[in-house]
Amino acid sequence: MEKVIEVKNLTKKYKDLMAIDNLSFDVKEGEILGLLGPNGSGKSTTINCILSLLNYMSGSIKIFGKDMKPDSYDIKSKIGVIFQDVAVFDELTVYENIDYFCGLYIKDKKTRKKYIEDAIELVGIGEFTKFRPKQLSGGLLRRLNIACGIAHKPKLIFLDEPTVAVDPQSRNNILDGIKKLRDLGATIVYTTHYMEEVELLCDRIIILDKGKILAEGTSDTLKGLAKVEEKVTVEVNNLDEKYINEIKNLSVVDNIKYDSNILTIYYKEGKNNLVELMEILKKNNVKYNKIYSERPTLNDVFLELTGKELRD
Amino acid sequence: MFIHNFKYSLKTLFKNKSLIFWTFAFPIILGTFFNMAFSNIESSEKLEIIDIAIVDNDDFKSNEVLKTAFEELSDENNKDRMFNTKYVSENEAKDLLDKDEISGYLLVDGEDNKIVVKQNGINETIFKYVTEEISNNAKIINDIAKREIEKEAISGNMNINYEEIYKDALELIQNQDVNLKDISNKNLSYTMIEFYTLIAMSCLYGGILAMASINQNLANMTSQGKRISVSPISKLKIVFSSILASYLAQLIGVAILFVYTIFALKVDYGDNLLLVILLGIIGSLSGLSLGLVVGTCLKTNENTKTGVLLAVTMLGCFLSGMMGITMKYIVDKNVPIINKINPASMITDGFYSLYYYDTLDRYLFNIISLLIFSGIMILISYVSLRRQKYDSI
Amino acid sequence: MTVFKTFWKIVNRYKFTVILYTVILIIFATANMQTSDTNTNFVASKPDILIINNDKDEKITENLINYIKNNSNIVDIKKDDEAINDALFYRDVNYIIYIPENYGNDFLDGKNPEIKIKSTGDYNSSLAEMMLSRYVKVANIYLNQTKNEDELISKINDTLKENTKTEVTSKLNTDELSRAVFYYNFLNYSIIAGLVYIICLILSTFREEKIRKRTIISSMNYKKHNMQLLISNGILSVILWIFYVILSFVLIGDVMFTSHGLILIANSFVFSICALCIAFLIANIVSNKNAINGIVNVVGLGSSFLCGAFVPVEWLPDTVLKIAHILPSYWFIQNNEIVKTLEEVNMENLKPIFVNMFIVLAFSILYIIIANIISKKKRKIA
Repeated sequence: MEKVIEVKNLTKKYKDLMAIDNLSFDVKEGEILGLLGPNGSGKSTTINCILSLLNYMSGSIKIFGKDMKPDSYDIKSKIGVIFQDVAVFDELTVYENIDYFCGLYIKDKKTRKKYIEDAIELVGIGEFTKFRPKQLSGGLLRRLNIACGIAHKPKLIFLDEPTVAVDPQSRNNILDGIKKLRDLGATIVYTTHYMEEVELLCDRIIILDKGKILAEGTSDTLKGLAKVEEKVTVEVNNLDEKYINEIKNLSVVDNIKYDSNILTIYYKEGKNNLVELMEILKKNNVKYNKIYSERPTLNDVFLELTGKELRD
Repeated sequence: MFIHNFKYSLKTLFKNKSLIFWTFAFPIILGTFFNMAFSNIESSEKLEIIDIAIVDNDDFKSNEVLKTAFEELSDENNKDRMFNTKYVSENEAKDLLDKDEISGYLLVDGEDNKIVVKQNGINETIFKYVTEEISNNAKIINDIAKREIEKEAISGNMNINYEEIYKDALELIQNQDVNLKDISNKNLSYTMIEFYTLIAMSCLYGGILAMASINQNLANMTSQGKRISVSPISKLKIVFSSILASYLAQLIGVAILFVYTIFALKVDYGDNLLLVILLGIIGSLSGLSLGLVVGTCLKTNENTKTGVLLAVTMLGCFLSGMMGITMKYIVDKNVPIINKINPASMITDGFYSLYYYDTLDRYLFNIISLLIFSGIMILISYVSLRRQKYDSI
Repeated sequence: MTVFKTFWKIVNRYKFTVILYTVILIIFATANMQTSDTNTNFVASKPDILIINNDKDEKITENLINYIKNNSNIVDIKKDDEAINDALFYRDVNYIIYIPENYGNDFLDGKNPEIKIKSTGDYNSSLAEMMLSRYVKVANIYLNQTKNEDELISKINDTLKENTKTEVTSKLNTDELSRAVFYYNFLNYSIIAGLVYIICLILSTFREEKIRKRTIISSMNYKKHNMQLLISNGILSVILWIFYVILSFVLIGDVMFTSHGLILIANSFVFSICALCIAFLIANIVSNKNAINGIVNVVGLGSSFLCGAFVPVEWLPDTVLKIAHILPSYWFIQNNEIVKTLEEVNMENLKPIFVNMFIVLAFSILYIIIANIISKKKRKIA
């Protein structure tokens, strides 16, 4: 597959803070690439540098095989961006907003009208075209924000945390829309700190922290990085120390925690662990309320790589 | 593209209520206040008929000259009437003065005239002045009459017609022709300056429009600006189109204000309407360029930028006489350089020179100063706009 | 107490706005008091005259100049046409006398030479013209009597000698008092643009929709909440009022320590109370901060222009003053004006002042009632 974006040795400092530290990665045509990282990890800065909005100290950025500069208008015409902040005019209606931003790309009025209607349908705000942004709810506003960014049918789309503070209904709508865009042939760069979204949506994931790439790969390969294969949680009152030790001594157990009547067991391997555990508890006549098993998440991967949680 | 952005820039400007209030409505409201407050000042500076009293004692009654003179000056049918005179007793006069019903009263005591007033003021001064003139005249009449009588007596004429002599002397005084020629410029209404500063304010407030419309294009000011920055449009092109839109909006605002001041407030701009319009257009340009500089060069949020622009405008208008007309004169006279670089003053002075002077030198000087000012400001903005990337957003 | 504490935290946020406004007001007030000395203060009974003498040093010409000099203020202006014309327009000079070439000789020859003049057309210039005409008349008359220059001059001067005594009854320090009154009239603008604006801003923060919703559903009684707000605002108003009063002592001085000054201070206090109520009313009607800025400016400038805070009351057209009756500022300024002419402070003289104060208070009560009606209605809708 062709490389749509090539970033090489990108470095950016804000005064003393190293925002991006020698970052290199590629984006391939037709994929959804997720940039995952906690707040302040350099996701937005990376995107702003790629878009040539920010100065950077060193490195090179190529889009569609060409160097990206502020006046690379041929490249820009193929890009769509949805920023973290809602970037619309309060003074204009929903329709006028989309028309304005689409008009920056598409000159022909007929085509533009068609494109605007497509965008409105894609994000599902057809009933609200005459509304002013102030009259929209948070979720609808986000959808408008997206419509403004993709109405010109770009080949490469950047989405910078488009779902922050969005209700579940709108979020699903947005995520579906992004998939549709991919199916229509767009390449997508998606930043977020919601790991569920990344897992659901992205073909490939890059985990960023402090401006560096921690890991890169598909959701499954990333999870393979984790030592833990399964996590079992039991709610049990006043568990005796000796039972904990008994479980801990099992060869498949990596670690065990007992805190405020909740027992968490981390397994290195993931086969029949739950059944085994229940047998041990039954054998010792231990009464428990709830028991459940979890597969490791990207959060666990992140936790393991950095020692901190993705979300604060 | 150009027209697309132009159209939408106009739309956003006109839908921004607080922008429209400050640039369109506020100058009109202020102008209305000016008109209400100042409409009377100049006519109240003209001489009015002064309320006085004269103590009606025997000394006054026997003083023919004073009596007839005051009668004439208080006559309602006299077009040069100066006084509204009450003839009362001394106590009544005191009472009237206490109640501020008269400016002062005259007390004749033998040969002496005494004027009693409450304070020093223009009416009081004129009262005193006229009384003096009348008694002067009496003195002159006596003087001339005495001379004539002496002359007659020396020539041996025993049959002297005293009445005739006095009459002749009185006529002599009355028929004196004072050869004065008034060469003042005809347009002397200084309250006009208030309205000129108002136009100047409106021109400079237009800078807020320019600033607002340029902010929409800057990635470091608004998120819409970010979106525009990543679109395939040259920044200078889109900025130029937005500025042109704001200039049009500004000119509409100034034009409305012109129409309102001319037809509703009867402001006099002199005779040359074309030059007045030219000054309005160039004045607006200077406001626009000021807005551009504040919009592009200051690294701060939009509210602070607006605050800076308003403060600069108000200071400029203050120095050009909006809050006290003499301020402009004081600055012009003592530190002229300040008003040579103050666009509000250049605009005000331009209107003033059109109104007051017959020659155009001073007007042209102001027009050229404004063009130079605008040119410099636009150049600075251009240089700072060329920067296309930011260190932080 | 929580409302009270939050209030002062918000005041602290707005402290730069407060300081900025105060500085602007001080600059404008002092600058205006300086310029008003020449502009509005019409105590000056001598016109400002400029004499351009193109004649040689003739005795008779000298005598005319001396006469004018003795009876007017001779203004010194750069002798260039533009400077002279500017001076006339801006009333730096009221009357300009151009004595023509060879005036003295032509006059003595009985040619009655023409004197060119420029005049602003106001009462000072009328006075100047009366003065000049009188001199010329007298001179012409005596020219018929004698051709001897020295005798002529002494005749003229003898005739024009001052012959009317003047007695001034008022013992008021009108100069300083009118400056004090100017300051307190100007305070109408300061109080509305400064105090009312700041209070409105703070109240609008409390009234902002989301915050108001929270307040309404909170367990605090709505009346108690309003009460705490009112008290906090009252304290803020008093602080600002004290500040303005101290400023008046600094700027004006002695006359503020007299009973006249005391009345001015008391009057401004009553008006501050009214301003507080105005602020309450405005904040109840609008909550958008931009709109508040606009409304406060219009109310501040409007009442100041219409009621005579900027322009002396006696110069305002009657119709404007009639309209002004519906504004509390009018009664506030009327009181200041009464103080200016108050000879003696006694109960009799103070009566009209108390009446005006009462009217201002009545306005305040009216505003509070309206504000409460509005806020009660809004409480349900939100």
